[in-house]
Amino acid sequence: MVGSEAASHFAAPVKIKQMEKILLRNIDVPEFHRLAAYESAGGYRSWRRVVENMKPAELIDEVKASGLRGRGGAGFPTGMKWSFVPKDSPKPKYLVCNADESEPGTFKDRLLMERDPHAVLEGTLIAAYAIQSHTAFIYVRGELAFGATQLESAVAEAYRTGLIGKKIFGSGYDLDVIVHRGAGAYICGEETALLSSLEGSRGWPKLKPPFPATHGMFGCPTVVNNVETLAALPWILERGAAAYAALGTEKSKGTKLFSVSGHIAKPGVYELEMGYPFKTFLEEDCGGVPNGKKLKGVIPGGASMPVLRPEEIEKVNLDYESVQAAGSLLGSGGVIVMDETTCMVRAAWNLARFFAHESCGQCSPCREGCHWMEKIFHRIEHGEGEAADLDLILNISGNIMGNTICPFGDAAAMPAAAFIKKFRDEFDAHIAKKRCTVRRELE
Amino acid sequence: MDPVKITIDGKEINTTKGKTVIQVADEVGIEIPRYCYHPKLSIAGNCRMCLVEIEKMPKLQIACNTQVAEGMNVLTQSPKVLAVRKAVLEFLLINHPVDCPICDQAGECWLQDYYMEHDRRESRFDVGKVHDRKRTIFGPNVIFDGERCIKCTRCVRFCQEITKTNELTVINRSDHSTIALFDDSVLDNPLSANVVDICPVGALTDRDFRFKVRVWYLQKTPSICPGCSTGCNISVETYQNRIARFKPRINEAVNSHWLCDEGRYCFHDLAGGERLTTPLIRQEGGLVAATWEQALQAIYAGLKGSPSIAGILSGRNTNEEAYLFAKLMKRFRADAALEVFYQERKLNEVEKILVSPDRSPNFRGARAMGVGSSDGFDALLRRLLSGEFAAAFVVGEDLTKAAEPEAVRAALQKLSFLVVQDTRVTETTELAHVVLPATHFGEKEGTYTNREGRLQKLNDAVIPPEGALPDSEIFARLLELSGESNGYGSPAQIFASLAREIPGYENLTYDAIGPQGIELGSGGGAAS
Amino acid sequence: MAVEFSPETLKKFEETVGRYPKKEAAMLPVLYLAQQEFGYLGPEAIAYVARLMGQEPARVQGVVSFYTMFNTRPIGRHHIQVCRTLPCALGGAERITAFIKRKLGIDIGQTTADGRFTLSEVECLASCGTAPMMQINDDYYENLNEEKTEKILESLT
Repeated sequence: MVGSEAASHFAAPVKIKQMEKILLRNIDVPEFHRLAAYESAGGYRSWRRVVENMKPAELIDEVKASGLRGRGGAGFPTGMKWSFVPKDSPKPKYLVCNADESEPGTFKDRLLMERDPHAVLEGTLIAAYAIQSHTAFIYVRGELAFGATQLESAVAEAYRTGLIGKKIFGSGYDLDVIVHRGAGAYICGEETALLSSLEGSRGWPKLKPPFPATHGMFGCPTVVNNVETLAALPWILERGAAAYAALGTEKSKGTKLFSVSGHIAKPGVYELEMGYPFKTFLEEDCGGVPNGKKLKGVIPGGASMPVLRPEEIEKVNLDYESVQAAGSLLGSGGVIVMDETTCMVRAAWNLARFFAHESCGQCSPCREGCHWMEKIFHRIEHGEGEAADLDLILNISGNIMGNTICPFGDAAAMPAAAFIKKFRDEFDAHIAKKRCTVRRELE
Repeated sequence: MDPVKITIDGKEINTTKGKTVIQVADEVGIEIPRYCYHPKLSIAGNCRMCLVEIEKMPKLQIACNTQVAEGMNVLTQSPKVLAVRKAVLEFLLINHPVDCPICDQAGECWLQDYYMEHDRRESRFDVGKVHDRKRTIFGPNVIFDGERCIKCTRCVRFCQEITKTNELTVINRSDHSTIALFDDSVLDNPLSANVVDICPVGALTDRDFRFKVRVWYLQKTPSICPGCSTGCNISVETYQNRIARFKPRINEAVNSHWLCDEGRYCFHDLAGGERLTTPLIRQEGGLVAATWEQALQAIYAGLKGSPSIAGILSGRNTNEEAYLFAKLMKRFRADAALEVFYQERKLNEVEKILVSPDRSPNFRGARAMGVGSSDGFDALLRRLLSGEFAAAFVVGEDLTKAAEPEAVRAALQKLSFLVVQDTRVTETTELAHVVLPATHFGEKEGTYTNREGRLQKLNDAVIPPEGALPDSEIFARLLELSGESNGYGSPAQIFASLAREIPGYENLTYDAIGPQGIELGSGGGAAS
Repeated sequence: MAVEFSPETLKKFEETVGRYPKKEAAMLPVLYLAQQEFGYLGPEAIAYVARLMGQEPARVQGVVSFYTMFNTRPIGRHHIQVCRTLPCALGGAERITAFIKRKLGIDIGQTTADGRFTLSEVECLASCGTAPMMQINDDYYENLNEEKTEKILESLT
């Protein structure tokens, strides 16, 4: 049952605004996961150009000039990340495609893996070449079995036709690609936890410094890039950095995929030029909140990011700086829409439960603090909250932030604090009345 | 090494590149609290207790993983740091059971200590603690309590990096993370109890010591382990004149931070048994109590003029005792065959980390003092068993454990005169003509020379039972009887004497030996 | 009761290990092979994998227990995993879970008496746009309602 059946269930309408599609340009082409279709649309021309005509330093400069930033959530400039790899290191270098998409509200990488795996693969190859890695891994979360098999087929096709393997295109460059499946752990989306997992261990994040660029997998220089970031590379190499940089805003170049879910008329994956107005996007492109309900809150960038009230998104554009200025973060671009029927106490508890379950348990503030917050949210939600509970959660959240080994602590702390801060009245009422005061609870 | 200058709390420190802030702080005596960091284990960075403020860095940094850089300015007492320590302690305490009244760690528990020093706030936690396995036996010497555990992973890293036996692991995730053994395996490597030492809390405790005595009642005496010739530095901890436990003392030149299980618990055997409290002389019916006068006279008479004498000294006797024993025996017969008890045993890979292949802690020192020949103990034992000697003086060893017991008993019974000096009744004392009650390692002051040639000091931790005398005093009295009038008194005085005679020990003074000992031939220990 | 790989699986094991720069990196795929071969990863399977990989079993157990997709106990033929994270919750996931519980007569974490189904609640499966949804073994079933859910369960033997 893996395969087309699952793909057809993913029937979310995918609509792109009037602009040239980059990432989703071939997403509706049937059988586009096959090499023949991909190549006939111009696929692997960029890869060939890179191997035959470019030096790694040139390639890095080109990607730097494009302004491409990491699309996994951190938004770190991709070219700069590549340039941190010491060129003269005698150790093997590793390139890892982070396909561990697990941020709640995010399902864009999955779409690319399932419907355009060769774009993901080609981007992986290009990135590997930039850092002169001869072994690339695609780390796919274990649950995405279909996505993994699509990628495995793509890799097999690429080997068969000499796109990867030894002496590619007759050059001196060898490259192996391994599709590696995770086994169920959100934390393995964090790059150093991913590397621990790839090394065959528990998915525990590593202490930084040293950083993966110099001491990554097995202590060797390693770069970890998100699926969406890599999928943009073939187009950038084909059309040039300037073309990519011409799109978007000054600090947020290019396009981004947004996963839209929750109380919205047209959920799905959208590709937008960076800087597109948030409100317009929700109300027009996504069809607005259905059933005549009003918007109550929206998370712009995946569950880790602070929720925004409707009035807060009036002037927000979907780019890194604008969302940050509004007090949240663009993150993975996972837009979760909540209407007036949503009990924000229950929503906050739901996410607190997520983080408590996914904490790796390595460091004390996160291991103990996440579940503590969940328990307090739980008792508030069930009508046993106490007046001091809200400030307690805010304090716990503040004690976790910045004090953990990896950003998971921050990811858990931010939503907890944001829900309380933005919907304080509702929390107060829920505590005082010992029950949900929103007429219809989450079902 | 590249020099680096940093400042910690306003104090300028000259250090070298490659060190971490916590290492430098430890070196200069600035206290930064920590749980997971241990100088001998890899850096884990998970407890977050050592977070400090570093100028120009927006977030607090863990001192254990921050390398020093020129001009670095570290604050360990800033308001942010003081606040984060409270926060971390709170996180560690929310699921911690209030076991103090029944927990052996009380009094030496780092949660208690840091809470008193850095926190002292009331608990805000009332949503139900996470529960885990309690009273879980991990091995013959170690018992585990999962609720008390703070997941610092010191124990796991010890088994991975020091013994390399990998018995322990962390299982599960989130706050269900806990320490576990695989299936029905056991934590029984030869160094297993060290995890008790390094566990900062009462999660891993010593089964032998369990519920015995509160640690604040213990008297602690620095000494040397009498288990083997490694000479691990220990603290002998006693209560009401009984040894309650050994703990290792840090000595990087000998045992680092560790102690083997056999050495750790050897006091049960060596300080135990049915103590001899009076000299005994063999009469018609058997061994009969006698006065010291009578016993020493009997020995003098029995050994003087004997055609052949063997002298076997325990490897647990000190240099001072060995020096006097050699002198004494040579006065009876210049050709007395003297050896210090020494039997080689095979060690496994883990034992080899620390243990020496013998159970004679001072064999090297004793030999240097004159108790030894080129033939070795095995040869002497063979000669004894073949009936070569007329008389023998055995100190501190039960020879029926050294060879086939029947053969030993037969040989000893054939001796015309056998003197046995020991702390307790053994099969060998039962066969003696004269038995002298002596003292064990915990009741004496003196020096051992370990296998590597390090001179280290024992200190007396318990008072011997009424009636027993220190070995050195017994030998001194016998020497007096035999005409030697040097009047050997305290171990320090005896040492001064031996330092004048024994090659390798010249220019050493007893008082200069110090708690970490001195390497012979290094020139250390000379009176200034 | 010792377990071991069949010759075919051993071959797959060798191929898998051969692809990685170091043997230990193949731990997760090897554990998947073992789970497939032995049904679940109990102490015997863990001890066997440890031996194959040249590691101590405690370490392998630490790895197995970290990841939700490794089963340390036998489960039903069809592992129903309903997503419960926020977007699916907003879409009615709790109703679907309640329905399945009623229909199969089991609670979360339990298996039907005939060994057909095990029910779990899981976190976000990257299918938020088609909520509510569930995963059964390797397959995603999206845009669920009670009727669809019922049909899906009935189709699985």
